[in-house]
Amino acid sequence: MSSTSQKHRDFVAEPMGEKPVMALAGIGDVLGKRLADKGFDKAYVVLGQFLVLKKDEELFRDWLKDVSGANAKQQGDCYGCLKEWCDAFL
Amino acid sequence: MAEFLEDPSVLTKDKLKNELTANNVPLPSGEHKKEVYVQLYLKNLTILNNKKSPPADTFSSDEELPAPVVSNKSRSGRKATKKTDKPRTEEVEVTDLTDEDLKQQLAKHGVESGPIVASTRKLYEKKLQKLLDQPPAEPEAPTDVTALPKADSNQNGNTNSDQYSDKEDEEIAAAEPEPVPVVEKPVRSRGKAPVTVRTSSRRQTKVIEEIITEETPKKASESVVEDILANEISTPTGISATCRRPIRGAAGRPVKPSEYWLDESRVQHSVHTESRSYSESLSRPGSKVSTGKAPVRRGFLSLLLKLLLLVVVCGSLYYAYQNLDSDQINTLRGVLDSVIVPLQGTVDKAATYLGIGSSGAQESIGE
Repeated sequence: MSSTSQKHRDFVAEPMGEKPVMALAGIGDVLGKRLADKGFDKAYVVLGQFLVLKKDEELFRDWLKDVSGANAKQQGDCYGCLKEWCDAFL
Repeated sequence: MAEFLEDPSVLTKDKLKNELTANNVPLPSGEHKKEVYVQLYLKNLTILNNKKSPPADTFSSDEELPAPVVSNKSRSGRKATKKTDKPRTEEVEVTDLTDEDLKQQLAKHGVESGPIVASTRKLYEKKLQKLLDQPPAEPEAPTDVTALPKADSNQNGNTNSDQYSDKEDEEIAAAEPEPVPVVEKPVRSRGKAPVTVRTSSRRQTKVIEEIITEETPKKASESVVEDILANEISTPTGISATCRRPIRGAAGRPVKPSEYWLDESRVQHSVHTESRSYSESLSRPGSKVSTGKAPVRRGFLSLLLKLLLLVVVCGSLYYAYQNLDSDQINTLRGVLDSVIVPLQGTVDKAATYLGIGSSGAQESIGE
């Protein structure tokens, strides 16, 4: 299992509440802005998309790439972050 | 369009006439009994009503969609021959499907899809497209005689891996388009290209394998990459963290570090037993070289020895200074001289024996 970043650990540690989308692991300033422009301004909106895709990894990664242009590592980080959050809180 | 009545007699004669003319039904000239018009109405219009939903007809409107589907299937089955050529005349245009149809099509291919909403529709369309592209490619390759991909794969000598690799291709190529062109260049420069250049799909798989293995050691020099690659293939993900080994021959480091260090330690120990002042001068460059490369444990040991020697030497000098007797000093000097000469001889012998010789001595002196 690859090691997780501090951002990942911070996100997964507590309910996301109103955290901005940039709080997600793998989503920095640039990607966060792109997502926000498309309407995904909060982390829970991205969570919504993740759940609508039934937590499927491939679909979520494709979607993230489509919407924000994330590369493979960023996609993986974001997916992992959301998945773990769901496992803990959903 | 208004639904036609089953029992037109409820209408007045005039209304019947109007209805008939409105629907282009020829009316008999002159005035007739209402019954006539009712019959006409029944004949022409009520039948039309039925035509909309035929109970048991050979032509059913429901089958309009699947009928061309079947014919298209057979057409596309013979049409697509090349792997590179991916015709869009598949069963159905994925973009034209309704949400439900899309869901059904995906279910046919064994994909359990979630809700097809605005945000998810595009993804599912893509997925279905992929699935539709795959099956026509697979069964055709072995059956079609004139198929080029088969010839290609025969040249490469591996049919199955091509088919399997396509899947990998699309999944990973979609996910990692960026590293592919970047890594292709170093792959070519390294001379591993001959196998990879032949077919585009095979190249991509080779490159993709190396992407996974090479993502981490991109910074390492070429001489070390091979070692790292050999290590990384064994791990499940292909990615493992390896300590960055210091590059040999760089930054003044000797080419064969381990052997050199071992010799130095032997020399160090022999010197320590013979004379103290000489050992100190030798151990300094020796330990410098050793601590630069060798494991930390041995570094500590040499450091400890060094300190010990230093203390002993200082102690002896102090003792000598205290006495300040010329006779004693002279005798001490004589003893030292008698010891130093054979010591030098042994050191030189050892150095030449081990083959480092003057170059090593020069290095140690230079540092």
